[in-house]
Order: sequence, then C-alpha cells, then structure tokens
Amino acid sequence: MPSASILVAEDQTDIRDLLVMNLRSAGYDVSAVADGPAALASQSERSSDLLILDLMMPGLDGLEVTKALRAKGRSTPILMLTAKSTELDRVLGLELGADDYLTKPFSLAELLARVKALLRRADLLRAAQAASAAEPRVLRNGELEILPAKRQARFRGVPIDFTALEFDLLLHFASHPGHVFSRGQLLNAVWGYTHDGYEHTVTTHINRLRAKLEADPMRPELILTVRGAGYKMRDAPS
Amino acid sequence: MSVRLKLALTIFATGLLTALLVIATVVYAFQRFENETAYRRGMGFLSRVVSMYDNIFDMHEKDAAAFQAWLRALVLFEPDTELYLLDAGGNVLAKTGPTPLKPGTRVALAPVRESIEQKDASYVMGDDPERMDAGAVVVAKPVRRAEARGGTAEAGYLYLVLHTQQLPEGRWDVLRSSFARPALGAVLAVVALTTLLAALIIAAVTKPLRRLTEAVSTLSQGGLAEGLAVAPGSPLPAPTRDEFGKLTSAFEMLLDICRRQWNALRRTDHFRREGVSNLSHDLRSPLTATVACLETLDGRWAGEPARAEDRRLVEIALRNTRNAAGMVQSLGDLAKLDEPEFSLRTEAVDAGELLDDIAVRFAERAARQGVSLRTATPSGEGGGGSRAELDVELFERAVANLVDNALKFCPPGSTVTLAAAARDGRVEVSVADDGPGIPAADLPQLFDRFYQSRPTVAPATAEGGRGLGLAIVKRIAELHGGDAAVESVLGRGTRVVLTLPAASSSRRDELPIA
Repeated sequence: MPSASILVAEDQTDIRDLLVMNLRSAGYDVSAVADGPAALASQSERSSDLLILDLMMPGLDGLEVTKALRAKGRSTPILMLTAKSTELDRVLGLELGADDYLTKPFSLAELLARVKALLRRADLLRAAQAASAAEPRVLRNGELEILPAKRQARFRGVPIDFTALEFDLLLHFASHPGHVFSRGQLLNAVWGYTHDGYEHTVTTHINRLRAKLEADPMRPELILTVRGAGYKMRDAPS
Repeated sequence: MSVRLKLALTIFATGLLTALLVIATVVYAFQRFENETAYRRGMGFLSRVVSMYDNIFDMHEKDAAAFQAWLRALVLFEPDTELYLLDAGGNVLAKTGPTPLKPGTRVALAPVRESIEQKDASYVMGDDPERMDAGAVVVAKPVRRAEARGGTAEAGYLYLVLHTQQLPEGRWDVLRSSFARPALGAVLAVVALTTLLAALIIAAVTKPLRRLTEAVSTLSQGGLAEGLAVAPGSPLPAPTRDEFGKLTSAFEMLLDICRRQWNALRRTDHFRREGVSNLSHDLRSPLTATVACLETLDGRWAGEPARAEDRRLVEIALRNTRNAAGMVQSLGDLAKLDEPEFSLRTEAVDAGELLDDIAVRFAERAARQGVSLRTATPSGEGGGGSRAELDVELFERAVANLVDNALKFCPPGSTVTLAAAARDGRVEVSVADDGPGIPAADLPQLFDRFYQSRPTVAPATAEGGRGLGLAIVKRIAELHGGDAAVESVLGRGTRVVLTLPAASSSRRDELPIA
C-alpha cells in the first residue's frame, strides 16, 4: 500500500518545514505550499489523502480553502491549524467542513496522532462506502433513517445536516442500537484517538445530535444517557 | 423630603406664624383701645364728680351709710364701674359694689398717684378691691375735706374701677372668638391661598431642578456606561440663565469630563486587552516552532544512549517552552474573557455528564501519576439533576484547570473527586482532592491574577503556576452568573466549588447551528 499523501499549507516557513520534516520521517508523502491559492491549485491536479491547513494564510485562509474544496465535492479530510483559541474559529472550522483542528502551540505527537486518526477514519469510511455501495443498506430506528452510502440521515422524512463527526457518531450509535458505549469507547471508535485537548467532547456532540433529532433535547428519547456508564441509542422499535 | 415640599412647608409655617402674630397684635391693640376708652370715660366721669362736689370726704365722715347710697347713685348709669372712697393710705372706706369686701382691704397707691399725676397717661392699671389677684383699669382723683384742717393735705381718693374684658381673664376665649370672626377666617384663607400660590411658583421655579434631578437619576440608574453613551446633553434640561442653569451646565461639564475619561479608560483598557491578545497570538507561532523543533530533536535522539545528556536538556527546554506557551495562552484567553463584548454560547447540559467527559480526558494522566480520579455520581434519576445553562467549552476549560491544578499538586495515592449537585436552584460543581492543601493565608488571593503562593511549586511537574488558571476559572464562573470559592485545610485537601445557575427545566435548548 503506497504511503498516504499529505498537503501542508502553512505560511510560516519554520513551522512548515518542521511539519514536513516530521511527517516525512513518519513515512508520509508530504508536499507543502505557503498560501491558500497554492493549496487549491495543488488539489486541482491530484487530490491528497489529507490536508493540513493553517487558518490564517495570505490569499485564501484555511476556511476559504475548505469551503472551496467542499463546494467541489471533495471529502478529503482536513486538519486545521489555528493560532486563535476563540471558540468561533473552532466551531466554524468544524461546521464548515474541516474534520479536526489543533490550536497552536500544539505538540507534534498530538498532530501525528490526529493525522493517523483522520487517515484511519477516511479509510474506514471508504471501506464502508464501498461495502454499502455493493449492498446498499438503510438503518432505521423509528422515524430515523440513515443511508450510510450517501452519508445522509432523515428524521420523519426530512433530511438533516450533520457535520462529518456528528454523522459518524450517529452512525456508530445506529449501527449498535441498545448498546451502551462509554466515552472512551466512543472516542476510540468515532474520533479515532483519545485526546488531551479542550475540544471534541463527547457530551457536546451528543448534545448537538439531540438538538437536531429530539423533540425535547432535555428529555431525549433516541440517544439516552446511562449515568456513570455512557450513552446508547434506544432499541429500534420493531 | 423634596426641596419643593420643604419650601412649601416653610412658606406655610411662615404664613401661619405671621397670621398668628397679626391676630395677637390686633387682639392686644383692641384690648388697649378698650382700656384707653374706658379710662378716658372714667376720667371724665370722675373729674365731673370731683368738680361738682368738693365735700365728698366730709359727706362720708358725716354719714357713712348715706354716703354709700349716694355713691351708688352716682354710678347707677355707669355700667361695669365700681366707685370706691379710699383714705390717704389706700384703705377702702366706701364702695358701690354689692360684693362684701374683707375688712381692711387696701389697694396699691402707685397707680393712684400715676392716675392723678400723669395727665397724659393713656390708662392706668391698678388693684380691683373685689378681686385683688387681678388688675383692672383704674382712675383716681384726690378728695379733700372742705374745712381743710391744717393745709391742703389730701384726705383720700375717689377710686374708679372699670371692668373691661381683661386679657388675663379670658385670653383664650378672646382669641377663640377672634378666630371665629369672619375677618380672621379671611386671614387664614389668605394664608392658605398664599401658600398655594407660593407652591405653584416654587413648582414653576424648581422645574429645571426637577428635570435635572430626573436626568441625573436616569443616568445613575442606567449605569455609568449606558448613561455616558447617551449623546452629550440630551438627557438634561436646556440650561436657563438662573442658578439652575448654572447647575445644569456644571453638571453637563462634569458629565462630559466623566464621559471623556470613561472613554479614554475604555480605550486604554481595550488597547491593553487587544495588546495582550495580539501578543499572545503572535507568540504562538514562534512557540509552536520552538516546541516542534525540540520535539523533533527529542524524537531523533530517542534511541541513542550517547545523547542521553542532550535529551535531558531538550526535555527541560521543552517543558519550559510548554509552560511559557500555556501562560501565553492563558493570558490571551483571559484578555478574551475580559472583553465587554464577550458572550457565552450556552446550552442546557448536564454538568455531571460534562464531568464524566473531563474525567475521561484526564484518566490517562491521573493513572500515570498514581492519582485516583473519579466522578461522584449522585444516586437517583438518570441525570438531569445538575442541568445548567453552560458554555460547554468554557465550563470544561474551568473544570479542566481545576483538575489540572489538583493533579499538579497531589502526590501519588491521592484521590481527586469531581461532583455536580443541584442545590437551591443552583448547580454546585466541585473538584475536591485530599492533597497537601493550601495555606490559609493564601486562600483569599487565590483567584487573583498572577497571585502565586511562594512555596507552592507543583511537585508533579516542577511548574509554578496556578496563578492565571484560577483567575480564568473565576472569570468563567462569573460569566455564567455564578461564582467560584475555595476551601482548604493544610494536610487534608482542597475543594473548589463553582456555583452556577441551574437551567430552567421548561426551556428547550436551541443550538446556534449554521
């Protein structure tokens, strides 16, 4: 299997060089650009397996690059690097289609762990899509309908927008209705790693799923809390 | 009590006092006039009697009883008068009144002399033999014996007592009757009317004052920030040319100064925060590069025993750089949290569940340090008891800071307990440890920015530093409308409690999702 290709777009030379150096020594096929337009241009020829984008770049910033790529239908996983720790950037980063982000200053070990996790997720996703494309299936739980191949979910027939993580989390629950998952299990299965940062909390994402799916998020009926143990999706009514 | 009321009351009191004084004066003058009239009448009568009869004393000496009858006949048509014959010493020899007198009744002679000698006296008050305790208007004339034995010595006096309505007798009756008189009623009416008029004038004159007061109280109620945000002068009445106008202008000037200083202060504060924020932002890239460099070196030398010494140095550099990075981030975050425009992104979540999240996050580190990290799950219903309106990110940040502190200071074998419980409409989130505790002297300043109790260098990481972390915790609690408190006993442990408002159970949480 050829090594995964990673594009690093970072305007600060030192950081860019260090990233390239470390990713290369980790065995990846790394290319690097210094600004947003160059990042977009490089993707137009050949799609990388993973993008590492700095949020603040001259020309086009990380968000704009992400938007442009997503608009073209590319689902390449994107890891956003940001020097801002303000929540707005974080939420936008994820909601506008980045898959993960790291706040500067980050640790290289953490970055490598996330790169690995994102690539693994992408692989799993591809495999799942290939499998479900071969045998399209629909997961149903009451009024919830999930089409894994199309990465679509409908509630009472209405399509609902989810971020990539939210969808994966929902899919994970829906694939194992009635099964209680601990937070650690969810982090491993959905996020792909256990983290030590301030972001990506399980509860927050569960809350977001509930806000989109539950009639009363305060009294959830679909995704239930098992205090002291974790969360589960209710058994599919027969 | 408003100034207007005070003014009105003052005017009313002054008016009333004036009216009373006027009435008293009138009553006094009336009394005096009455006395004078009576005196003149009495003087005329007595002069006529004395000029017509020059043998009055002889008549008395001749036949006392007949004299008394004659005396009575004299005053028969003089109402309210009693006539007496006195000897030279003032002893009553004969009288006209029916009231029996005590034998040897004697009147003071000074008024007698005064009445005789001072021709221009308006009236004279003297003794009334019938009522020795009260005075009366008296008139006296000397009488002589017709056959003067040995000169012109006065043998006695005719003494006329005129009963006018005396003040000592009926002062209050007089006053009462005076008040009852229509004229005095009118005086009162005038006083009332004047007061009313004065009140109206005061109201008109003090109108600018009232408006100024209202404007000022609006300003103070609205708070300095809002009040000063109002366009200059708009809440104040237009300045007039009197003292109120001056007051208004002065106040406006004061307000303007305040406004300018406030704005300057805000600008300075903004620049300060902006500066700290920018600095924090700008420092991240070099720090990121440095950390990455050191990590790369560390990784590169990992397997080389010859580089053990160098790796130790790199490790120290890395640890210190990370500490610096942490402080830089805390500084930037605190500047962010201090911004007046900063607003929370709250959602209704179960604080207990978030604690479970945080426990998972720190589980590995705690296990590495040999510290037991656990969440106390309240027994009972499946969650919901500790539901609060929280900005999840900030809440986690606060609790994570607390857990981080606890792990920094607790030796292996300790226990750190996270708990969330509802109490009196609030949610209490606590992070408790059984570590070394904090000296009591340090507790009050613990949440102060940059406060660092000297001997507390974290044993686990050799870092000094809970300074900014706790300031951030407190700020986050305050932003949520709650508070942070700490209790600690040396050698027993520390417990930090965040008190946060509970979520109203009826509200649906709405997430700001694009």
